[in-house]
Amino acid sequence: MKAKYANFAKKATALVLVGAVLTGSVFARPKKAKNVKIGVLVSDVSGEEALGFRAYYEKYIASAYNVTFKYTEQLTNAEEEKSAIEKFAAQGCKAIISLSSSDRVTQLQTCSDYKLYYAIASGMLEDDQYEQYKNNPYFVGQIGPSMETEFQAGLEMGRYFAAKGVKSVSIYGAFIPNPMHVYRTAGVLIGLGATYGGTNDKNAVVGQLFGDSRVNVAKISSPKVAIKSYFQGFGETTTDELNAAIQAKPDAFLSVGMATTFFTSQLNAAGIEFSDIDSFTSGNGKAMKDGKLVYLAGKYSSSIGPIFAAVINAVNGNSIRDKGNAISLSQNYLVAKNYADFDKFYTSDSGSSPIFDKSKLDSVIGSNVSYEAFKSLVENN
Amino acid sequence: MENQNKKKIGKYRIQEIMLTLMPGIALLVLFLMFCIAVISKEYMLSLYLKIIFNEGVVLALVATGAVFIYTLGSFDISLGASTLLSATLGVMTYNTTENLALMIIVIFATGIGCSLLSSLLASVFNIPVFVTTVAMMSVLSAISAQLITSNGGALGGISIPATLLKGLDNPPFKIVVLALWFAICLFVFNFTKVGRKQKFLGGNPVCAQLTGISVNKYAIIAFVMAGIGVALGAFLTIVYTPSVTTGTAGSIGMNILVAIVFGGMPISGGPRSKIYSSLVGGFSYILLTNFLKIVIDGNAGYGISQIISAVFFLLVVYIASMNYRTKMLPR
Repeated sequence: MKAKYANFAKKATALVLVGAVLTGSVFARPKKAKNVKIGVLVSDVSGEEALGFRAYYEKYIASAYNVTFKYTEQLTNAEEEKSAIEKFAAQGCKAIISLSSSDRVTQLQTCSDYKLYYAIASGMLEDDQYEQYKNNPYFVGQIGPSMETEFQAGLEMGRYFAAKGVKSVSIYGAFIPNPMHVYRTAGVLIGLGATYGGTNDKNAVVGQLFGDSRVNVAKISSPKVAIKSYFQGFGETTTDELNAAIQAKPDAFLSVGMATTFFTSQLNAAGIEFSDIDSFTSGNGKAMKDGKLVYLAGKYSSSIGPIFAAVINAVNGNSIRDKGNAISLSQNYLVAKNYADFDKFYTSDSGSSPIFDKSKLDSVIGSNVSYEAFKSLVENN
Repeated sequence: MENQNKKKIGKYRIQEIMLTLMPGIALLVLFLMFCIAVISKEYMLSLYLKIIFNEGVVLALVATGAVFIYTLGSFDISLGASTLLSATLGVMTYNTTENLALMIIVIFATGIGCSLLSSLLASVFNIPVFVTTVAMMSVLSAISAQLITSNGGALGGISIPATLLKGLDNPPFKIVVLALWFAICLFVFNFTKVGRKQKFLGGNPVCAQLTGISVNKYAIIAFVMAGIGVALGAFLTIVYTPSVTTGTAGSIGMNILVAIVFGGMPISGGPRSKIYSSLVGGFSYILLTNFLKIVIDGNAGYGISQIISAVFFLLVVYIASMNYRTKMLPR
């Protein structure tokens, strides 16, 4: 029994000592020089696009400016997002850049409560949400593809395949009724020369897709290109639908998002050409070079540079406002239709020499930067 | 001989007291370590403590109800999914009716209903409860995901107006809810025959049944208590953030198990079960994970804090189980 007591006491002491050593290591760390801390909310910690964004901020921006980026772990819901913002506030961060979209309105409100500047680096608020919060002084802005840009991206994709002469396609609608995917899908249908519910008017098609919460194949009339199948939803829950789409042997598989994440290997194996709206990553390059990815509308890693410039300006008291409102600018997609195009975009945005490099960002960082100059930089790159 | 027996019992009681106090001492040590870490990093301690409370309160509420199930020697892994479905249906109800009272009723009905369904399925098919809860977890998550995505929340979730419950998002309200729920559970668990019989059932189900105790009756009571905990957790989740996404409450199911063990309760349930283990363990676990995240720089690498937490979990189970290897019956 004594031995058991001794054993128990040893283990308990060991637990306390481990804790003390870990705590002690905190004291031992040298303090860093004062700089601006910016918290980054991320919902994807392992995707190539997310890693590209992170490398750009941590390896390029952080060394070019006196900034420390503090990243969250993978955020999966609104509670985690809010808690992460509160932790960043407790850690002395001055601003939050969001790459997570569970509940952006709550993110914005929480930032406002803690007097943190808030910016959206990927995607946008819905129009009514932007109208409601654009006057908030802590809302720096949002830079990403607008809904019109999303529609155009889908439209160009549809037109590309129609011009290519494909006779049949399968369509993957990703997460309809997510607005971004609704607009892209409406663009794809119209680009293929199809009507939906008897119309090819953008707003009418978009309205119907929102109402249906999916694409109702029975409402499609497509004289030139047959729509063999349609499905949507998370990759792991749509295995049967993907198999059915492959069995239908379409000439092409058109995706409005996430196909390169979910379906690349299956579509390559089936020998079906496919397209997607995603980003310029090495994985997508491989799919384009050796696989069946033939069309990619995408973003590049340093596309999140301008929003950093807007945030650092706000932190330094030089907020850039559009007539007093938060910035809301649309960024276009780059389109690669072959590996040479892809490689050109991919290599032009390398880690050490990104498209939005220090010299470009410096042109919009400072006390005398106009909204027009900022807008011009974003829209011309 | 009599003296030897007295000595044995005395030592056993000391050991019991030590193990009883251990979770509380561990919570205190973790709290001190956490405070030291926060202060040494020059972070805001008051705000961090509020965050810890907000993160711990939902876990503590759901886990307190779940103790009744764990006492029976079973466990319910679907509690996170039940919390998600309760919150989802609550938000949908408010958005349809704009009636707050109805929203709360739906949250409670769903929480209790989901929990009861698990226990009824187990009774009907005569299979272990935890097996039905594994199936229920998948079913409830799928239903919630379908409801959320088909109501326009594929990526952004569904939400009630942000201002509706914002006034309740403060520590005093949450402390009152937690204290009331804990007091009710403490009373039922320690001062009524329900708690005593459940401990008996968890410790020795055959003997308990032979003495005329109905397994089904007390299983149903346990699941109803867990369901109320789920409903309270779902409500406070909506109070904290007005939106529900497919990932809401995703980690609660497993965290309850960890919290209860951290609180000093045996996984096997029975007479050594303690109602306070959920409260102590829940906050200990939250303190530990946040302490590790502060000490191990978040940018250094993902998952390191989870690995250390897992090692801690195994250590706690090992130390706690030392006492259960004795031949003495629990007293």
